[in-house]
Amino acid sequence: MKFFDSHVHMVSRTTDDYQRMAAAGVTAIVEPAFWQGQPRTEVGSFKDYFNSLIGFERFRASQFGIKHYCTIGLNPKEANNEKLAEGVMELMPLYICKEGVVGIGEIGFDDQSPAEEKFLRIQAEMALEADLPIQIHTPHRDKKTGTIRTMDVLEDVGVDPGKVIIDHNNEETVKEVLDRGYWAAFTIYPHTKLGNQRMVEVMQEYGAERIVVDSAADWGISDPLAVPKTAALMKERGLTIEQIEKVTYHNPLAAYGQSGQVEESDWADAEGVDPAALFEGNTLLRGGMDVETAMSQYLIE
Amino acid sequence: MGHHDASPPKFKPFDFIPFPIEISMESAMHEKLTAILEKSSSPDAMRWLKEVIESQQKSFERRPFYYAFSGVSRHFDKRGGLEVSEEDLSELNKELSGFSIGNWDQFRLARVLLLLVLGGREKPVFLETVAALLNTADIREQTAIFSAFPLLPHPEELVETAVDGLRTNIVDIYDSIALNNPFPSQHFSDEAWKQMVLKSFFIERPLHRIYGIDYRANANLSESLSNLAHERWAAGRWVSPELWRSCANFLTDEMVENITRVAGTDEPGQKEAAALVLAGDEEGKLDHIRDQVKTFLDDVADGRLTWDSLGEQL
Repeated sequence: MKFFDSHVHMVSRTTDDYQRMAAAGVTAIVEPAFWQGQPRTEVGSFKDYFNSLIGFERFRASQFGIKHYCTIGLNPKEANNEKLAEGVMELMPLYICKEGVVGIGEIGFDDQSPAEEKFLRIQAEMALEADLPIQIHTPHRDKKTGTIRTMDVLEDVGVDPGKVIIDHNNEETVKEVLDRGYWAAFTIYPHTKLGNQRMVEVMQEYGAERIVVDSAADWGISDPLAVPKTAALMKERGLTIEQIEKVTYHNPLAAYGQSGQVEESDWADAEGVDPAALFEGNTLLRGGMDVETAMSQYLIE
Repeated sequence: MGHHDASPPKFKPFDFIPFPIEISMESAMHEKLTAILEKSSSPDAMRWLKEVIESQQKSFERRPFYYAFSGVSRHFDKRGGLEVSEEDLSELNKELSGFSIGNWDQFRLARVLLLLVLGGREKPVFLETVAALLNTADIREQTAIFSAFPLLPHPEELVETAVDGLRTNIVDIYDSIALNNPFPSQHFSDEAWKQMVLKSFFIERPLHRIYGIDYRANANLSESLSNLAHERWAAGRWVSPELWRSCANFLTDEMVENITRVAGTDEPGQKEAAALVLAGDEEGKLDHIRDQVKTFLDDVADGRLTWDSLGEQL
């Protein structure tokens, strides 16, 4: 099976992760621009970060046969540093029309402060202008209120809900998100977000329409194999292959495909890993990682 | 076919035009490149590009130019190659020796045409815009920028940028500077040239695609290459026979020993390389390996074996 993990922060991951992801069938990924674990103090740091998303990380992924796309945006935490945020708004137009940039993201609310709303609006307008999908981060605290407020803001700006992927949903938010016409993404993230048993239950209730499963693996204790593991659990729990393929592959592809920057033929026609693209005698490709061992424990709690 | 002389031919001097040419929006180069893109891509994409170029020529504005430069990806086919005939290639090469678009795609050529617009601006605007583009460029954009270098004005101001570009870890970017690009051979210092050849060898790039590889060979580079070969031999690692190409005219005692060793090596291409060095040895320093590489020497005399053909077969 092929998987499309539409939310994973590979700059924080190792080559072992890439190798296991490729072996487990992860074919394409979206890396959203996000917070790096500590606040940036200069606009230039964003420039270099965006450069890595469209540059070296894309190259690194390609060495493992994985197609790498990204979204470009200012995350809500750092929107609260208004001076810095203004600088990032100046910078973003240089990136959002680039090849392989499949949306504006991840943006949304953290503390739900006025500054966060201001930059959510500006970026939503930018997405409208560039005709790009939006990837929404919903807050960890007061999630339901924050999710509803996000949708209110987006609709006020005039964004089409069909071009917005709202991420980090849970049982409390999913109904309204789907009812209002958005894509509902679920992050399978151990401990703090959603385990994959709960994900199966959500699908048993809501089906697979406009539902997306991702890993959001990052610098925390997280799992870059969350998507294939969840697919394995779904199969065991009796969901149909069609449903599983929808939420782990076809839906994210359709949602981000609206950018015109990602399509199945990008990897269906790919010639595979090019060993000639390896560098300096230090090939990033190594053998020996046992993905079967990693995949044998597919329950994520 | 001509007669077969017993003695090998003299080392063929490199066909090199050492002066840069003026490329403008009206130049034959520009016209040919535009025609090639036109026959390769969709009419809609071409119309868009021509409109952008026209409006940017009338009044240059930085932000729309940035959008257009990255926006090439929204108009041209991302996997679209170029229809380039042998005749096209040789015409372009006549305009600028060593310049080749043989492995370019539509994105790269469209972006190079946009960069030629920049070439017509006043120097500070030109340099600032190139720097800003490069500072925010993705991989394909970077390859386009470096590929355009031999066509752009103020090359002396671009040399450091090209040298810095070679520090990349990304092979496509590296190749856009080092391979099939006449810019380094025309503008690099001996030191920068040496670093480029050494790194190209180190990361196993095809040396025969470095334009000016023979012309820019020098004793210091030859010595460094010899040291590199010794390091590799000590580690029991393979040494590309292409390495000796830049050493052929610098037959020090150590080099004679190296080539003697190469002549006795049975891996593909090694004896061929020794024969090519021997063919250029006018002082008879390598006469003792003649018998070992005899068959290949005949190929050299026939023109069937050259450094380029050796590089291609590796």
